[in-house]
Order: sequence, then C-alpha cells, then structure tokens
Amino acid sequence: MIVIVGAGPAGLAAAKAIARHGVSCTVIDAASKPGGQYWRFRDLVQGYKSQRAYGYFDELRSNPKITYINAAQVWSATRTNDLVTLNYLQAGIEKSLKCQTLILTTGAYDRSIPFPGWEKPGSMTPGAAQALLKGHGVVVGKKIAISGTGPFLLPVAVGLAEAGAEVVGVFEAHSPLRWLRSPIALAFNPEKFFELLYYAKKIKKLSIPMKFGKVVTEFSGSTAFVSRVNSELSIKRSSDEIQCDVVASGWGFVPDLSLGGILGCKEIVSVDGTVIFSVDRNQQSTVGNIFIAGEATGIGGSDLALIEGEIAGLASINKRIPFTLRFHRARKQLFARALIRSYPVGNGWQKWLDAKTLICRCEEVSCSQVLSSVVELKAEDSRTSKLFTRAGMGLCQGRVCSRNVSEIIAGAKGVPVADTERISYSNRPLAAPISLGSLADGIGEK
Amino acid sequence: MTRRISFSFNGKPFSGEEGQSIAAALLNSGVTELRKTRFEGEPRTIFCGIGICFDCVVTVNNVANQRSCLIEISEGAEIVSQQ
Repeated sequence: MIVIVGAGPAGLAAAKAIARHGVSCTVIDAASKPGGQYWRFRDLVQGYKSQRAYGYFDELRSNPKITYINAAQVWSATRTNDLVTLNYLQAGIEKSLKCQTLILTTGAYDRSIPFPGWEKPGSMTPGAAQALLKGHGVVVGKKIAISGTGPFLLPVAVGLAEAGAEVVGVFEAHSPLRWLRSPIALAFNPEKFFELLYYAKKIKKLSIPMKFGKVVTEFSGSTAFVSRVNSELSIKRSSDEIQCDVVASGWGFVPDLSLGGILGCKEIVSVDGTVIFSVDRNQQSTVGNIFIAGEATGIGGSDLALIEGEIAGLASINKRIPFTLRFHRARKQLFARALIRSYPVGNGWQKWLDAKTLICRCEEVSCSQVLSSVVELKAEDSRTSKLFTRAGMGLCQGRVCSRNVSEIIAGAKGVPVADTERISYSNRPLAAPISLGSLADGIGEK
Repeated sequence: MTRRISFSFNGKPFSGEEGQSIAAALLNSGVTELRKTRFEGEPRTIFCGIGICFDCVVTVNNVANQRSCLIEISEGAEIVSQQ
C-alpha cells in the first residue's frame, strides 16, 4: 500500500504517475478540495497556466486506482518494521492508515517577518489574501498594499485587483536586475520569463503601482509606512505613507516538515537558512520507504513540485525515471537556486522593530522581552530564550516566529544561527494540534 | 447560485456562501475582529489564512480553539469569540 500525504501539485503528480502504471495508491489531504495551497479555484479567478490543474483533479476523482481521503488532518506518524502508521482526524473522528510506502508532499506556508503593527487586523500574509480570494471568493480589503519579496507577490496583486480591490502598491524589496546574476538559470527556464511577462503586462494594464527597493516597515491599521531598503533590508530612508486597510506582507516560504521530522527523515539547511529534507535522486529520504517531493525538499514552485512528485511516484513503484524528467528537475532546481539569489531575506529587518513590536503573536512576546532574555538572563540560544519568554510556545508551535526568534537572538549576539538550531526549531512533536482526548485515544490504539 | 448558510457570531445572525470558511464569511460581512488576545486584549483576525498561525481561533458549537480559516460554515452553527 502506498500513501501520499498532500493533494497539491507534488502529491497529485505522484498519484497520477503511480496509477498510470496500474498500481493503487491513497491520497490523504487536510483540505476539503484538492489542489493544495497553490491550485485553489473558484468561479473565474485563474492564474497563469492554471488549466493544468484540472487534468490532475479529474485523475484524482475518476481513476479507480486512486483513493482520495479529504478533510483529513494527519497529526502524527510512527514507523515500525518498515510499516508506517498515519494517525489522522476526520470530522473530529480519530482514524489511522497503514502503508509500506509513504510519499510526503506537505508543501509550505508564507514566511512572515515582524514589523511594528504586523499583529493588527488588516495585516496578513499574501497567502491569506490569496486563499480568501481563490478559495472563498472574498476580497480582503478595499485598499491593499502588497509587500515583501518574491514572485508570489505578483499573482496575489493581480488577483486582488482583478477582483475589484484597489492595490495601492506592490512593494518588492529587491531589484529585478538581481536576475542578471543567474543567466544560466534564466537560459534554461525561458518559460519563466514568459510567466513574468504575463504578470508584468497585467500589472501594467491594471495600473498597479510596482515599486522596487521599497517595503512596508510599519502599519498603523489604516496607514502603511513604506521605507526604501538596501539589499540587506536595512532602511535607507522612510519614503511614503499610504492609506490602506490591508497590508499583505510575505518573505518567501517555510516548508512544512512536521511529519517527515517525526518519522526521522534527515533535514538539512539550505544556503538561505531554510530547513528542508535531504533526498536522493529518486526523491527518497534517508528513511527507507519514505519519499518526499515538492516544497519540503526546497522551495521551487509548482513546476518543480510536479516533476519531483512524478519522480517520487515512479521511484516508489520501482519504475525507471525517464532522462527527460531528471533533466527538467535539474533545470527547475537551477531556477529554484536563482530564486534564492534574487529574493534574499537579509537581517536588516531586525532594525525595523521597536521595543514593543510583537515577535511571538500567540504568546504576545515583544522584541524587548526576547532581547532582555539574552542580555539579562543570558539565554544563549532560542530554546533557552523561549523557556524564559514563552516565545514560540503558543498554539502555532512556533511555526510563525521560531526562525525570527533565533535570528534576532543570533543578531543580538553577533553570531550566525547554527544549523542544529535551525533544524531543531523546524521540528515539533505533533504535526497538528489535537485535543488531549484524541491524543489519549490514539495512544490507546497502539 | 450557491446556497446561503446562516450561522451566528457572538449571538448575532450572519450568513455566507456554502463552502466558505467561518473567517471568510465573517470578513465578507465586515467583521474585522474575531477575538481579543488574552494578555493585552488586542483585536485579532485572520493572518495566515491556511491554518498555520492560530490567530483566528474561535469557539464553534462549544468546541474551543477551532481555526476559523479552515472550518466551513454550517447551518445554525454558534460561533463565539474566545481569548
């Protein structure tokens, strides 16, 4: 039995590859609809090449070899004698699933960095604005500022403007000229250039102000304060005050490593500090029968996720991986590395914070509290600081703030964040929070 | 035409489209505060939108800590703010 966790591009590609060879598999996903975070559709809201998704959705629904379990949150996993048991909750009912082969395609979520006012209603991630629009048909505000870095800001701005919101500006920290540092990646990925052109044309047509080298560094709830920043994100000077009811700020993505981490799959730190899984050329993790594909093996977007998913699917049933697939993966991985070079998140943001700026939203821990745990209480690392301040110990289990806490502490001490610390803060004992009752039931089963 | 679903939030009647999340339906109805924080009493609403951050938690039919960005509205659901 093969189980695929996640029904985004990587998971769907894996399922299709397996089913095409007449082998059965099960896809289990937390959402009620397939597509993951990337392929969310409702009515006429579409993105670049989004029609591709429908082929995969049809396969999921109509191929008798694929079993699809939706609205099921996998919260833990165990592995004994090569048999993996996944415990999941579906409509409040505790269930489990066993498999010999597991393919993890658990995706990623927006990386947030704090700034004064980021906890106020109206401040959100671009992913939230996108999910509300594409998934629920709701436009998050009337006047919206989009800020941060990375190509994902563009489809979010276009989608919101097309739905009738006034996008008061897209504030991209980095200059597009940074792409010139990656000529080989661009030469091997000409279609990415056309995708960029597609969004550039739309932004022009919709008259969305596109500003490079500027970002929102403070939000009052009704005014966004925009600053000009250098490539390290240090503020060069304050620039504009813009009236808006929403600031959607995003700084790349954080892979969701929870399940693979629980199962002991080896994690590594990529050049930009993102923790990802170590996989071989067949997308196989360091734990024998577990394959991993998509953002959890490195942020690379849906094109790379589709290829990795297909390779993981084929490898999981011992089928030959065509050379063309390996070539396209290498090509897309070049592009993924170029993304890191083009949209780095330097440490300059730490100087945007004032003493009262919240670092941990859940436990309402301020910047000064985190810093005083280092200066006065002599916390040497984020773990110790967390014990003093409770930063990262709230309901989200540090998913939003733990990387920032570590980087603030390292910044205050003038040292880089150790890889062991990065890996440690990326792991948590449960993949999703559940009630103690369910936890007790789950343990009782074993 | 999608079906309208009626529910209540803090005792007041609201409605949304079938399939919408609680957070989406409330935001669409002009609700900009889902709860107050437990230490500072500051307003919070949807932040990550995909079930990661837990800023949007509410009590749904007496079950606390439910992520309103993930849970779909259901007919007659009683949704209440929590800390």
